[in-house]
Amino acid sequence: MSWWRKSPDLTLLSALWLLLAIGIVLVLPQMLASWSITSILQFATLLSLVALGQSFVVMSGGGGIDLSVGGNVSLSAVMGMLALHQGINPLWLPLICLLTGTLAGAINGWLIARLRLWPLIVTLGSFYLFSGLALALTSGAAVAGVPAELTQWGRGTQFFVPLPFLTCVIPAFLIAWLILSKSAWGKWIYACGFNEHATRLVGIPVDRLRFLTYCLSGMLAGCAGFVSLSWLGSARPEIGVNLELESLTAALLGGIAIFGGRGSVIGVLAAALMLVTIKTCMLQLGLNSVWQLGVVGILLIIVLMAQRLFIYRR
Amino acid sequence: MRRITTAVCSLSLLFSGYALAAEKVAFVPQIIGIPYFQAMEAGGKRAASDLGVEFVYSGPVDTNPMDQLQIVQNLIAQKVNAIGISVLDASSIAPVLAQAKANNVHLFTSDSDAPDSGRPVYVAQATDQGLGDAIIDEMVKRVGDHGKIGIVSGEATASNLNSWIGFMQQRVKSKYPNITLLKPQYAGGSASRAAQIATDLMSANPDIKGLIAMASTTCPGVAQAIETAGKNGKVIGSGFCSPNTARAYLKSGAFGYTVLWDPEKLGYLTVWAGKQLIDGKAFSAENRVPGFTEPVKFDSKTGVLLLGSPAVFTKENVDQFKF
Amino acid sequence: MHMTSREIALLAIALLAIAGFSWFSPWFATVDNLLTILRNSSELLLIALGMTLVIAMGGVDVSVGVVMGVAAWAVGQLLLVNSPWLAALAGPLLGLLLGLITALVVVMGRIPAIVGTLGLFGVWRTGLFALLGGQWLSGLPGSLTSGLMHPLLGLPVMAWIIVLVWACVWLVLRHTPYGLWLLAAGNSEEKARLAGIPVTQVRIATFMISGLLCGIAATCYIATYRNVEMTVGGSLALEAIAAVVLGGTRITGGACSLLGTLLGVLLLRILQNGLLLVGIPSLWQTVVTGAVLLVVLSSEAASGRVIAFRRTA
Repeated sequence: MSWWRKSPDLTLLSALWLLLAIGIVLVLPQMLASWSITSILQFATLLSLVALGQSFVVMSGGGGIDLSVGGNVSLSAVMGMLALHQGINPLWLPLICLLTGTLAGAINGWLIARLRLWPLIVTLGSFYLFSGLALALTSGAAVAGVPAELTQWGRGTQFFVPLPFLTCVIPAFLIAWLILSKSAWGKWIYACGFNEHATRLVGIPVDRLRFLTYCLSGMLAGCAGFVSLSWLGSARPEIGVNLELESLTAALLGGIAIFGGRGSVIGVLAAALMLVTIKTCMLQLGLNSVWQLGVVGILLIIVLMAQRLFIYRR
Repeated sequence: MRRITTAVCSLSLLFSGYALAAEKVAFVPQIIGIPYFQAMEAGGKRAASDLGVEFVYSGPVDTNPMDQLQIVQNLIAQKVNAIGISVLDASSIAPVLAQAKANNVHLFTSDSDAPDSGRPVYVAQATDQGLGDAIIDEMVKRVGDHGKIGIVSGEATASNLNSWIGFMQQRVKSKYPNITLLKPQYAGGSASRAAQIATDLMSANPDIKGLIAMASTTCPGVAQAIETAGKNGKVIGSGFCSPNTARAYLKSGAFGYTVLWDPEKLGYLTVWAGKQLIDGKAFSAENRVPGFTEPVKFDSKTGVLLLGSPAVFTKENVDQFKF
Repeated sequence: MHMTSREIALLAIALLAIAGFSWFSPWFATVDNLLTILRNSSELLLIALGMTLVIAMGGVDVSVGVVMGVAAWAVGQLLLVNSPWLAALAGPLLGLLLGLITALVVVMGRIPAIVGTLGLFGVWRTGLFALLGGQWLSGLPGSLTSGLMHPLLGLPVMAWIIVLVWACVWLVLRHTPYGLWLLAAGNSEEKARLAGIPVTQVRIATFMISGLLCGIAATCYIATYRNVEMTVGGSLALEAIAAVVLGGTRITGGACSLLGTLLGVLLLRILQNGLLLVGIPSLWQTVVTGAVLLVVLSSEAASGRVIAFRRTA
């Protein structure tokens, strides 16, 4: 039973998944069909990307949180399409989205890491800024005109797995996992969250590291913005609504500690998928969508209480 | 473990190919929890029992296009035969059209349109132009053809609201050149925000003569603002508001009139249209729908199934209506 | 009264904004408009007051808006059965209860406040939907309104209630041990416990007070708007956090500025109102709010000033 004690977060998550799976098999067997998996993966793509960025930010500690991710996604998508309408070659579209996202993240990172401001309030301010810009620049209208090749990629599937999931989410999580578990950077990030003071004493550039995590979060948000473009066929200025809270929920359910210093990105992916699956199941059961909020809320509270009981005995 | 999973998967694939007995027609509103869409749901249920189909009503909690899309996709996957959607935006249903066709599910729009998406029919409450014209004409009747009129809209991203605003602006430009229609302000979904914006508009333009609330969620806010400012009768409030919401304000004078249609009938028509699509019946220029006194017009060029002309509610006739 | 540098900065910005808006719009500096701004600030003033205490204690509460919504539902329901006195009391009572539940989840459940209140946000939102049954309560009777809007010495009763509430909280912070305990607990929980401060009770009390204030805000909301929809109170939590932090209260404890919060709330509302009056479309309001927030925070940090850790009111 030692693996249970070694990674209790993942154990908890697996237990939840098992319960969910049993529930599905018993009550909603039609959910096991291929279209269902495709649908879940499609909706999970945006959430997973953003949750990954959120995890990095939270893991690096110092009260790290990124409330601006939703606004970032919207802004990146909008900037991409506005640039396209100005006549830029469509090939530059992904780059523009990524660049906008990273720049936005860099603003956060600079204010938080360099000026040592409280992340919650900085990202709150930038959330207002980014989401407001996205709405104001477009006057609320969606910016259509995504080239057909992109929407083909955005809506295409390979073996029932949506292409964006295959080409963006899986590699992102793989790279993230490699960084966190195999490289020095990863160890530094955990160290920052676990014990900031000691980490500084050892000479690790905590501030620069935190700055980079915010840039990374921004870049992933930009990627998510690009994926949303390709899927919907237009840039929607409100696409990022609620993403900040959902991504935080996914990160926390996936085992990332709010204080930083622990967690695994595999858990985050599993948690993101679980959230979307729960949503889908509830829709299939005909439950009103508003119940999702309550269920996810209670889940969050219970999971964190459980984590507290079993894990944080220190 | 793997063998069991495979067995379960293949069995469920078999079952999912099984045709479902009852035909299902669904309606997906822009957001649940508003009386307007509640009324449409009631109409849909009534039609379902009249026509012998099953009615499914499912909508997002926030006006979030992703949530709406997920709901639509789920309904397609559940093999609901026809799905009417009040789309948040024209590109809302684009990603799932292909999937719908593949699953032999009829996707169409109702209450809010996506004109270039290839949908077979749009169940319209009234033409967008008719609505825009009606509300402006009635306003001018009451305030004269000089002066300023303000617009308090709901979500900046709602395409139906923006379409009506567009027609309102056109109407003013072409017919009432001495009316200044102020730029629309957006209150989101909140009545208090709408009240704030309405109050600020009145402060910024003390000579303002009328305020129009575009979304049913902004109606109470605008009316409240006029009452609180003590400008009942001096500023004519109006909007696309249901009689129930507007009743108190029509009686107090904060609202001069409101324009709407019967959402319950719209819901009924939506389910009826869905059934027509399932049965493969084409829409004729004039259609007899059970329970409707007038035949319902269909324009084959634009694919619009028209409920009728907009209704104007005033303090005199508001008590006749219960929605 | 000694003002910290942040409070002075806020006052300066507010005055600047007022001057600027008055220059560009003749309608800004009218008595009517200024009263409008105050009226629009009623709920936020109460909620931000509670948020000040929560943040000073080292936590954050994102569910305050929805708590107000649920309390507003109760007020509305009682108003429908024609008992305005009961309705007026129901708000604060229900708010107190919800605050207690929040306290139990966060403090006894030992979950970080931001996560616990995030979860509760979802739960209360669902609860409000279930209570409303998908409808709205609209066109509520005006009995509460006439009661609370009744002019008393020139100001409506509601305004006096808000002033009274602020005065009470100020007194409690200044002249009872609770105030000291709050700041100590927010600064360092461990050290506070070692010093013998009943940290757990302080935290529970803070959440309950915040809930109570949300409940009072709910009564004011109903009196002003006379309707309850599912989206009631949606963005209030974030606005409250913004106002409190603008005002200089720090989550690391040690500094709790009621005056700062007051200035923060007023500044936010002045900006929203003024922008509309000078003709800037409402969609730009959030951009300006965000920009102001970031600029105020970063300019102070960049200038290297350290805010004195003093308790001010």
